[in-house]
Amino acid sequence: MTESTLTGKSMEAGGTGEPMIGLTGVEKWFGDFQALKGIDLVVGKKETVVVCGPSGSGKSTLIRCINRLEVHNRGRIVVDGTELSDDVRDIQAIRRETGMVFQSFNLFPHLTILENITLAPRQVRRKPKKEAEQTAMDLLTRVKIPDQANKFPGQLSGGQQQRAAIARALAMEPKVMLFDEPTSALDPEMIKEVLDTMEQLADSGMTMVCVTHEMGFARAVADRVVFMADGAIVEVNDPETLFTSPQEQRTQLFLSQILVHPS
Amino acid sequence: MTTTDPATKTSDQVATPPSGGPTGMVWVRENLFPDVWNSLLTLTLGPLLAWGVYALGRFLFVTGRWEIITVNLTTLMVGRFPRDQLFRLWIAIAILAVVIGLAIGVANSVARAAAIESGDDYHRPWHEPIRRFGPPVTLLIVMGVFVRTATPLLLLAAAVALAAVAYRLGRMIPIRRRGQVNLAVILGVICAQLAITGFDGVPRSVWGGLLLTLYFTVGALLFAFPLGVAVALGRRSSLPVVRGTCMVYIEFFRGMPLVVLLFTGWLVLPFFLPPQFPTPDIVTRAMIILVLFTSAYVAEIVRGGLQGLPRGQREAAQALGLSPWKQTRLIILPQALRSVIPALVGQAISLFKDTTLVLAVGLTELLQVARIIPGQEDFRGQGLFAETLIFVSLIYWVGSYWMSRESQRLEAKLGVGER
Repeated sequence: MTESTLTGKSMEAGGTGEPMIGLTGVEKWFGDFQALKGIDLVVGKKETVVVCGPSGSGKSTLIRCINRLEVHNRGRIVVDGTELSDDVRDIQAIRRETGMVFQSFNLFPHLTILENITLAPRQVRRKPKKEAEQTAMDLLTRVKIPDQANKFPGQLSGGQQQRAAIARALAMEPKVMLFDEPTSALDPEMIKEVLDTMEQLADSGMTMVCVTHEMGFARAVADRVVFMADGAIVEVNDPETLFTSPQEQRTQLFLSQILVHPS
Repeated sequence: MTTTDPATKTSDQVATPPSGGPTGMVWVRENLFPDVWNSLLTLTLGPLLAWGVYALGRFLFVTGRWEIITVNLTTLMVGRFPRDQLFRLWIAIAILAVVIGLAIGVANSVARAAAIESGDDYHRPWHEPIRRFGPPVTLLIVMGVFVRTATPLLLLAAAVALAAVAYRLGRMIPIRRRGQVNLAVILGVICAQLAITGFDGVPRSVWGGLLLTLYFTVGALLFAFPLGVAVALGRRSSLPVVRGTCMVYIEFFRGMPLVVLLFTGWLVLPFFLPPQFPTPDIVTRAMIILVLFTSAYVAEIVRGGLQGLPRGQREAAQALGLSPWKQTRLIILPQALRSVIPALVGQAISLFKDTTLVLAVGLTELLQVARIIPGQEDFRGQGLFAETLIFVSLIYWVGSYWMSRESQRLEAKLGVGER
């Protein structure tokens, strides 16, 4: 596989074909350590892209750059036509349109689930309380935990917390959802309920970028899978091709390591 | 020896269930005389303790000359406050009783609504108010023993009744209007001070006793708390100038003894003020020093709380598009402050006791009154220091103890839903 085909695969937007997120030559340094080495990637509208790779390969850093939780040092990041710059207004605009789900949920422990979900719509979108609560209840019904609305995060199971966190991100009616290893902190029996929620979301036409180790999910839901190693994109392809006939040696090695135990 | 012990024998013969503690004799043997050394300790400390209790009881109820408190109760409460102006103080107390009653009433209905909403059964045992207000009420009763006329007792009862009525009213106020109640509390505090000092009233420089102590404590807390939070946030600012200034501020005020600062405020400050700027009176200067001093400690406490928060909390708030100020105000501060309540209350208690140091700049707060009155004409040379010191110690202790207990309550209450 040559450099040009890789670039071709990663730079052609899937989904509807129109680009939603565009990264060109993105580099990120932590001190002397280069975490991202010239990332080129276009994510199309309504496309679901799964990013996988060994730990330390820069997957999380990559999606954290998209909503500026990390500041990239070189290259361009464009989200829905707005380029990320140092301008606070651009950053805020992109964050408003980008929902994020974290590995450790990061629900606000001092607020109830309902307050967690209505906070940003009321504070950022200036929605009236009634309307925000109505939307929140609809979302909680969608993620199947409407009866937990008035509890505090600490009273919920991990899976319920993560679904509440997804509802919180969705309440802002984002155009893009970023998932940063959403199931890695969960007990095995709770992973499925979260993945089901994510699958349902992908089916509804949300643009999604997911960092995950759940290969089953990637196979079933992803339009394209991005394999990263050492801060660079090694291979991009549709899940079937990538998993059954990976082109790169690095990808083959990684897949052989994680697919030893079929589940 | 042990086998013939009647207590052991009984417990051997009768198969009693293991519920309940050991019986009297067994408890005594297990806890007071388990071996030679502990028996020796018991035999030494027991009589000492008994003697101490006897001596204290004898002093409190037999030999103590408590008339010095009876005669000086008003002075202990208000110092040199003109006696013909005391009605102003009662007006202030009435205003405060109303706003405090209102505030507690509203807080109560908020708590009830929250409990009902989260599906919990909202039930408070009938004795809870008695337990909560036990310490201050006990103190008031003890003080009542030293009152010579019925007037203050009646007025006090009237104030309590006012507070009770306001509490009922507060519970009827809709929760969405609680902001207005907070405003009413602030206005009430200002009005209470105006009722004393305003309208040709009594300047603060002649206030004294418990009045001055409480004024310094409450006033310094009200200002030191927000200032301390601001400095703590400044200390974590990304702007080097702000960060540096806050660091110097904290280290300076934490590195100076309070007495030195008070002297500085008293003697040195006037020289540094521009001449057209009128030098504030000594009470204001002492208050400023107490505020600056306390806020530096509050800042360090709050900084600890800020650092203890997981990074993910700020990131989640950022990812939702909240502005930096709203991230801090809605997500970071509420959690950080909640986690440092015990330390903050500790600082409040410390401030309450530290107000005694204003006697160094010539103000007659509670302790200073206690030092002065045994030298009065009627009591001179009789050495009645123990009586006055025990009395003011009781006030300080009850105040501190009450604050610490209320903070435990608050912690338990705010801990709802915490992991």
